[in-house]
Amino acid sequence: MRTYALRRLGAAAIVIVLVSVAVFVMMHLLPGDALIAKLGDTGRIPQDKMAELRHEMGIDQPLPVQYAHWVGHIFDGSMGTSLIFDGQKVSSRIGDALPITLELGVLGMAAALVLGVPLGILSAVYQDKPLDYLVRVVSFVGLSLPSFWIGLMIIVYGTLYLGYQPPRGYVGLLHDPAANLKLMWIPALVLGYGLSASIMRMTRSTVLEAQREDYTRTARAKGLAGHVVVSRHVLRNALIPVVTLVGNQAAFIFSGALILEVLFVLPGMGQLTYTAILQRDYTQVEGCALVAGAIVVLINLLIDLSYGVIDPRIRYA
Amino acid sequence: MAVIAEELARGQRAAPPRPLGALLGFVRCEPVAAGAALVLLLICLVALLAPLIAPYGPNTVFLRDRLVHPGGRHLLGADELGRDVLTRVIYGARVSLTAGLGATALGVGFGVLFGVISGYAGGLVDQIVQRCMDAIMALPPIILLMVLATTLSPNLRNVIIAIAVFVTPGSARIVRGAVLSVKAMTYVEAAQALGVSPVRVVWRHVLPNVVAPVIVIASITVGSVIIIEAALGFLGLSVHEPTATWGNMLNTGAQAYMEQAPWLALAPGIAIAVTVFAINLFGDGLRDALDPRLRGR
Repeated sequence: MRTYALRRLGAAAIVIVLVSVAVFVMMHLLPGDALIAKLGDTGRIPQDKMAELRHEMGIDQPLPVQYAHWVGHIFDGSMGTSLIFDGQKVSSRIGDALPITLELGVLGMAAALVLGVPLGILSAVYQDKPLDYLVRVVSFVGLSLPSFWIGLMIIVYGTLYLGYQPPRGYVGLLHDPAANLKLMWIPALVLGYGLSASIMRMTRSTVLEAQREDYTRTARAKGLAGHVVVSRHVLRNALIPVVTLVGNQAAFIFSGALILEVLFVLPGMGQLTYTAILQRDYTQVEGCALVAGAIVVLINLLIDLSYGVIDPRIRYA
Repeated sequence: MAVIAEELARGQRAAPPRPLGALLGFVRCEPVAAGAALVLLLICLVALLAPLIAPYGPNTVFLRDRLVHPGGRHLLGADELGRDVLTRVIYGARVSLTAGLGATALGVGFGVLFGVISGYAGGLVDQIVQRCMDAIMALPPIILLMVLATTLSPNLRNVIIAIAVFVTPGSARIVRGAVLSVKAMTYVEAAQALGVSPVRVVWRHVLPNVVAPVIVIASITVGSVIIIEAALGFLGLSVHEPTATWGNMLNTGAQAYMEQAPWLALAPGIAIAVTVFAINLFGDGLRDALDPRLRGR
């Protein structure tokens, strides 16, 4: 177990380093440089002055040196300073935004599980009955509708006909939990519906499989009631792949949360990255991308390590 | 000897399919998927024949018809500049389908390349390729695409390249898995033992056996690529105005005039939903047809 955990930890560290290199290289492929981005439309500046400023910012040095500087800033905890908001640390702006995205992601995932798992089980138990077909259609629709469009529809038609007020201004969860949940539940539900579709399908297929196993037949043969067989024998085995799926969806949950934040004007990581990209605040974009990547890697690592707890059959060969 | 092994190995491959018979079999076994395929064919035809079908030009402006309601001479209404919404939805299909098919072909193509190299070579090469794929997969797609779409200038070709970067790792991983199981087959071992070159083994024995999963990944990927292109358009990071795309129709007018003209957000969204729904149904049917063990799951 320990060797396995260490190996997974090593692989995760390598992936985070690769993510940082990829993000750094992508941002330096951009036309123009950080100085031009910073100056924006401030007018003409003599070439020698430009060179001086570039030297001050350290962007006249070779890329590997700049990368080393950036990594240094990651380790000193600042991740550099924002190009647009002078003096503000990249990490402090991420620190403000990240909890909002995490909250939306967790709420979305909870909504997805609450919708997806029971419907998936019902669909499998009533295989090829009308309920099964209905659930499958609902899940197909969930896979096919872009979440931002569902959100947009809720805002447009909800405002016009149902008296829904899209949130204006964000309230922190710790500051006022009730007000916070009031503005988060609709984006969370929209995010959750999209995710629940794949959870529903996976649950249905694994429950169907577990129902055909020998241990289920034995349980039925010894006269256990249907719901006991399902809850005690089928579900325990069927839900393991669902856990994997939840882990694999981490990157997508993050993505979905990001785009919904832009739509519902929630000041999370999506909004932060999006405005940073529009303002060409490169250091901020680099920081956001790295943190997002690192979180996804960590979630996957935790899921991998949790298999041993959930499924004792796994011996980490 | 090598010839005999080749013949033996060839025997392991599926018999060459008869196109018409396979098509009829598919329609009989998967009627819903066949119906979805028909809808897709129609959408493709509409996109191809856009200049003949669309009532007006995609950028023709009717100043007096700004934000006009659906009905009359604008069946789905007109946008804030007085452009016909139906026309722009029809032309938008061209961008969405081109992006969907192009990015899928490019991404899955590279996925097959990396997956085969990684799975067949194994060892250090496998480790390096897999860790690189992990790194791309770790970045949330929207962040990856936001960065790429900003790095590359926003035209259709670059949007396709950006989305293909996102598609590659997922398909590489699935292809690698398929290659690993094919590699353990006796006919591959026989070919290797007889000294057939690795490139030839891959070409003759491995690739034909990973075609089925590749077709399934491709068919399912097209749908998500269309949604991603629309999401980028919605954020204003895909092909720019005035080109009509389903995504940027949702970005500009739909959000700015949501109270006066709520229908502006309806048509492009329904177009995306119907197209992706049909693609998913078709992909699902195709998966069942190619792998009957999964039927009804």
